[in-house]
Amino acid sequence: MSEERHIDGNGVGGLLAEVLAVDPTTVRRRCSNCGDVRTLAEHRAYAGAAMVLRCPSCQDVGVRIGTVGGEIAVDWRGTFLVQRQFV
Amino acid sequence: MARAALLERLGGGGPTPWRTATVREVVTETSHARTLVLDVPDWPGHRAGQHLDVRLTAEDGYQASRSYSIASPPELDTVDITVEEVTDGEVSPYLVEDVVAGDQFEVRGPIGGHFTWSADQRGPLLLVAGGSGLVPLMAMLRHRAARASMVEARLLVSARTADDLLYRDELPALQPADGLRVEITYTRAAPEGWSGFTGRVDAVMLAEVGPPPAAMPRCFVCGPTPFVEHVTTLLVDAGYATADIHAERFGPTGG
Repeated sequence: MSEERHIDGNGVGGLLAEVLAVDPTTVRRRCSNCGDVRTLAEHRAYAGAAMVLRCPSCQDVGVRIGTVGGEIAVDWRGTFLVQRQFV
Repeated sequence: MARAALLERLGGGGPTPWRTATVREVVTETSHARTLVLDVPDWPGHRAGQHLDVRLTAEDGYQASRSYSIASPPELDTVDITVEEVTDGEVSPYLVEDVVAGDQFEVRGPIGGHFTWSADQRGPLLLVAGGSGLVPLMAMLRHRAARASMVEARLLVSARTADDLLYRDELPALQPADGLRVEITYTRAAPEGWSGFTGRVDAVMLAEVGPPPAAMPRCFVCGPTPFVEHVTTLLVDAGYATADIHAERFGPTGG
């Protein structure tokens, strides 16, 4: 995995805001692989056929965002827990 | 908690619609970067450090969107973005070369609550910018100025040459000067007689500029991905707390 081909979850905030009624970048997810809890902003974002967010600690695939049949689809693969503070 | 009440509390952000922005003014920053001063009706307000998405639609319906950091502080009634042209990009050449006052395009935002700072929050600040990564950090310093905040703030900007440096005249004049220190390092060519830093950001530079780890500064690092990876590694190695290091990367693709 190249050190230079990713951005981070900040750059995916607008896209995820299509489906989440909260600020996506401050949502925390716990990685099912390593257990680390990090905000989506801290995740590495790779653009391919789908946008893939990887855990910044272990690089495991955490969230996939793509379009399916004209709809945006978010697959929380490898996610045990999603947390967000009350506003 | 009742389900309805929970949903209401979680729904505070609400969806982020596309809005039509009108260019009020265009400001040339460098030979390849301009600031677009935008009027956005019903803009919900933003925090320093946030960005927005710009969407352009061609006559044939083809759409392209890109993210740009907001340069203006929340206190202004306009939303300003500074755009650096990416060679062969799809969106930035239009925004940097073609757009004139009165033009309209769509924007969606503000986006991103992770990479933000408000004068209501504690300092000190350690801001490190690579190239146009200076834009969201400038919004923070302009916000600090608008609020006359005396929070200690250190800014280290890495620029290739003086011609590439954004906000060249404003940087040395930022207020309040008390507690503020701005340093620039030129990585390719420094101006004649330059006595400041030169070369890539390194541990010695950060140690000289930054509040030490013991001061527990909030660190904000923005720039191209390799720059951010490099600087955040230096900060972690120097002993800054991971939880205090906020990063925003922009990639080599797109534009």
